Amino acid sequence: MSLRTAVAHRNLLYLLSLRELRTRYRKSVLGWAWSLLNPITQMLIFTVIFLYVFRATPPTGDPSGLKNFPLYFVSGVLPFNFFAITVGTAIGSVQGGAGLIKKVRFPHEHLVFSVVIAQFVTLLIELLVLTVAMFIAGNLLLPWIPVLMFVLLMLALFTTGIALALSAANVFYHDVNYLWTILSQLLFYTTPVIYSPATISLEPLRVLALYGPTGSFITAVHNVVYDLRMPSTIRLAQLVVLGFGTFFAGAWVFNRLSPRFAEEM
Amino acid sequence: MANVIEVDHVTKTFKVHSEKVNSLKAAIVARGRNRYEEFYALRDVSFEVREGEMFGVIGHNGSGKSTLLKCMAGILQPNAGEVRVHQRMSALLELGAGFHPELSGRDNVFLNAAILGMPRREIAKRFDEIVEFSGLQAFIGSPVKTYSSGMYVRLAFAVAINVDPNLLIIDEILAVGDVTFQQRCLEKFVEFRNEGRTIILVTHAMNTVKEMCDRAVWLTHGVITGEGDPSDLVDEYTETMLGGNVRADDGSIRRGSGEIQITSVELFVNGDTEPVKRFRTGDDVTVRLHYRAQQPVSRPVFGITIEQLGGATVTTPTTRDAGLLPDAIEGDGTIEIALRKVPMLPGTYDLHTSITDFNLSHVYDHLQMALRFDVMTGKPYEMGGVVTLHPSWHLA
Repeated sequence: MSLRTAVAHRNLLYLLSLRELRTRYRKSVLGWAWSLLNPITQMLIFTVIFLYVFRATPPTGDPSGLKNFPLYFVSGVLPFNFFAITVGTAIGSVQGGAGLIKKVRFPHEHLVFSVVIAQFVTLLIELLVLTVAMFIAGNLLLPWIPVLMFVLLMLALFTTGIALALSAANVFYHDVNYLWTILSQLLFYTTPVIYSPATISLEPLRVLALYGPTGSFITAVHNVVYDLRMPSTIRLAQLVVLGFGTFFAGAWVFNRLSPRFAEEM
Repeated sequence: MANVIEVDHVTKTFKVHSEKVNSLKAAIVARGRNRYEEFYALRDVSFEVREGEMFGVIGHNGSGKSTLLKCMAGILQPNAGEVRVHQRMSALLELGAGFHPELSGRDNVFLNAAILGMPRREIAKRFDEIVEFSGLQAFIGSPVKTYSSGMYVRLAFAVAINVDPNLLIIDEILAVGDVTFQQRCLEKFVEFRNEGRTIILVTHAMNTVKEMCDRAVWLTHGVITGEGDPSDLVDEYTETMLGGNVRADDGSIRRGSGEIQITSVELFVNGDTEPVKRFRTGDDVTVRLHYRAQQPVSRPVFGITIEQLGGATVTTPTTRDAGLLPDAIEGDGTIEIALRKVPMLPGTYDLHTSITDFNLSHVYDHLQMALRFDVMTGKPYEMGGVVTLHPSWHLA
């Protein structure tokens, strides 16, 4: 569908996002706390493994001087989870929208966009908690918020692009869904979340961690949140290219495939 | 008058795979020798609907009606040809598509209206109207999963009808809901038509097509076999559909699933015990239906239709309209309809009988021309018309 119909249906996008947020933790006692409990559990596990099993030293923030593995981990895992969970949920949400797609004409991409928006709101709330924790640890994050927001917006564009392409492909081949579960794990370990790229001795892996698609975003977030440093200009340019490039490529794939959704489902 | 929608040489095919391929492995293995057959759901279909028309689409199951509808609604893309829509359209293929069970009725109204393309401000403006039409004021704050299916449909229809389209496409919606609600839907359609809006109706309810539509098309296996006056078309269609049904010696035609059947129909006049085939205007008449139920049938609806020889329907009373709802019926029995001071004027009439389920959707038995009878001159007498309303004239 054209951009114009998408804009005309912006109200639908708003309501779908709201639905996504409202129904997520229905019938759960802890509700929204769950969105924090998952990264906290991951943090505890990896902190124990990292500090007490491998006895590694946590990376030092430059110039912040921060030396705190849990905070390093959380500042990387939150944006990474946003990416991985959004793509996974979007794949299911297009397939789950079959009833709607087969019966009503509406911009299908809103099913994906609404997931991205809802997950982004969740990410912002999680980051708010992280900002407080950072403040207690001595990192004053407030002046860096605009740069952080820029990086996160590029990450959101990148995520949307991948989500569009994969959710459309999944309508035709359900393997995509399973493939993503494996691929996201692989990405998790090649992205500097539980380690610092500086500690990798194997050159190709180090480059992948630093300049791979997800690695680029997470490294930039670490720069801003953990190191309190402006990412390099080249890095910022890379994020813009990755963000917009992936978004438009994903949108192109989605637009090519979406007219055939109703038939295929 | 301007065309609202033009269906221009539309062809739609589906690939029928001998084995459905939707995993990568299967696709790779089957590459190059992916066997499928082309199935033509629609073949070179063309027609247009003009502004303010009520347009019917009829055809048997699998004739391509639904595919045509989805092409018109923009849900499916035709392989060849084009559908041009010139006005704001709302297609109701399923009521409540997109309702989320966990959300409240209120939230679902907003969400559903947005799915149908309504801007937020307009929804807010019409919200009260929508809720009032649905009659669910007391429940609008509860999640829709707590609704009965009737409530669900009512709310969904209320939303759909208030989207305010100039062109409304409807698929078999009249088959749901209770009688009062169906009546309200029909009223709304008439209101729509009177406002000069266009309605395209796809339905099995032949009477609705006959009575309400201005024009109709008839689809058979994806091809248009007839177009024009709905009355002729429906008759022709019904005749074709009945082709395989049982025609008895007395000229009656029977169809239906047959769990319960009308075995004979008798007519009595003024309390006599001998059945007759003629009476006079103004007589008290009793119609007696003899039925036989091979197995218990729950909540059957009996009905008769009296038609003038020319085809005009005089009356179609049913037990459901009268509120007579037996829980279950089994074995042989009779049911009587007493008609007081029958106002029918002289002529020849046919009586048809029917037994359906409570929703009128499943036909147990339909006996076309179960009985032919004559009405002779009685009191009062009028030269023209079908019935008399017992007029009394006064010179003032």
